[in-house]
Amino acid sequence: MDFEWPDQPQKSDEFERELKQAMERRPAPPSLKGRIMQQRSRRRSERHHTSIMWWQRLAASLLVGAVVAGGFGWRQMEERRRGEEAKQQVLTALRITNQVLNNMNRKLAEHDRSDNGK
Amino acid sequence: MAQRWQPDFEQLADEHQSMVFSLAWRMTGDRGLAEEVAQDVFLELDRHMERIESPEHALNWLRRVAVSRSADALRRRRVRGVDLWVEIEEKHGVPTEERQSPLETRLEQLLSTLPEAQRAALVLRYQEDLTPEEIAATVDAPLATVKSNLHRGLKLLRAKATTHLKEYVRGL
Repeated sequence: MDFEWPDQPQKSDEFERELKQAMERRPAPPSLKGRIMQQRSRRRSERHHTSIMWWQRLAASLLVGAVVAGGFGWRQMEERRRGEEAKQQVLTALRITNQVLNNMNRKLAEHDRSDNGK
Repeated sequence: MAQRWQPDFEQLADEHQSMVFSLAWRMTGDRGLAEEVAQDVFLELDRHMERIESPEHALNWLRRVAVSRSADALRRRRVRGVDLWVEIEEKHGVPTEERQSPLETRLEQLLSTLPEAQRAALVLRYQEDLTPEEIAATVDAPLATVKSNLHRGLKLLRAKATTHLKEYVRGL
């Protein structure tokens, strides 16, 4: 344990003894522990509030995300529905056109037959 | 299976506050700064409580962090351009009720003029009564470096003491 001091061992021992005596632990200020405990509880409560705020922010972000995603989904569904509706309308129009053309075709055919009969 | 040791923060603060405060004071040479460092060290302990495994671990952890935070505080002061040693000269000159003798006061004053690594080694050796191996583990330095710091620090302190403390001691 003793540190080597080859040149003057006795004087060194004396010096180390003085040094050891001079460097005894000092008592901490009486208020130190109280301040530590106070700061600790303040930091804990800050951390608690920060944690609550973090969760609130997370919840708000999730809500906003859900609203945006919902809006986007709703818009896509709406567009698809409108597309389907337009498609059905086009098909109906085509069916009507087809029917009209068939009728016209049939009438023309009848007209041709009556012309040939004369 | 042995039950895991449960650290009690208040008890640890109670037991080790004077050790942490003394280390910080001797490392920084400034009582106010030492109080700040001691508070920071214990608040950091609070954040690391779940990693503390035993009373010995707590003691070693506190020593290591106290030395390291004191060095950080000194560096921050230097960056801010505060002439610390002028402050130390002023503050150490003021007698307090904790002082034992003028010789011890002067020895501490001289200690505060040593380079940081040597001061840390000497404080851990003579305040905490650690072996060079324990000091090496505490400051995370090679054993040879610690031995060299102890040797040089002691030599330098002795030389300074021989020059400055003649009025108190004969034959140092």
